[in-house]
Amino acid sequence: MNEREFGQKAKPWLDRAASQVGDLQATRLKAARLRALDAYQEPVRIFGLVTVSGGTAQWLRYSVLQPALLVLPILALVAALAVQSPNPEVELGEIDALLLTQELPPDAFLDKEFREWLAKQG
Amino acid sequence: MSDFLASVERRAFKQAVYALHDEEAALDVVQDAMLRLAEKYSARPPEELPLLFQRILQNAIRDHFRRSKVRSTWTTLLSALGLGGDDDEADPLETLEVREPSNVPASPAERLEQGQVMAAIEEALQGLPDRQREAFMLRYWEELDVSETAKVMGCSEGSVKTHCSRAVHALAKVLKSKGITL
Repeated sequence: MNEREFGQKAKPWLDRAASQVGDLQATRLKAARLRALDAYQEPVRIFGLVTVSGGTAQWLRYSVLQPALLVLPILALVAALAVQSPNPEVELGEIDALLLTQELPPDAFLDKEFREWLAKQG
Repeated sequence: MSDFLASVERRAFKQAVYALHDEEAALDVVQDAMLRLAEKYSARPPEELPLLFQRILQNAIRDHFRRSKVRSTWTTLLSALGLGGDDDEADPLETLEVREPSNVPASPAERLEQGQVMAAIEEALQGLPDRQREAFMLRYWEELDVSETAKVMGCSEGSVKTHCSRAVHALAKVLKSKGITL
């Protein structure tokens, strides 16, 4: 008899031994199974794509997704501001152009005593 | 999950008993293994559960061995120092009790013979070295293939084959010496 045949012939005996577990042990095994099933968590799907175990899903949900949801609006705001913020060089150019097209010289806006001097001249 | 656990719990219990020689410890180990499977691997496809469960179960058995080794070291140390209590709690090797079979054989003589064969097989299994018994049970009782068995045992496929071969020869020898042929 070769190894495989021996194993195949031993299997029914082992199955029989398992089926003849005492009532007390069988009851305790059933209780252990029910306890394990209490701890069983249904698989959780995230975005309908990933199926992970309950534990991993909890970890993903509370450690990654929730902080991500909090940070996401802030990131969006920063991104929007970055996109909309005017180019400082363009802005300065526009101001320069405005000043140069005014009747008053640009110094008028910087020198506080210019108005007094202008009044005296008038 | 419920169906799977119901289908494996008794075999797992017997495996743990053969390994630990202690029904109480075996029940604890099986309970831990079932709990761990349900808690951590609930989303795995059903076809992966047998391999995962065996991995968890065999690890739990090894953990139990490790813990009891540490415990016995401390107990020996403390008793050598005269500090230990005299607790004779763990004295197993009492698993060959006569059981009431569920599938009753035709005659009492047959029933007796079957009981004797089963007891002899169980005794021979318990007498095997741990790794040989583990390999034999996984290959021929749980019907895992060589690579799956190697994964569960954390060793090479070659080692699995060696362990299985030695286990079969040892079992056959013991049974033959008792006049039993399968």
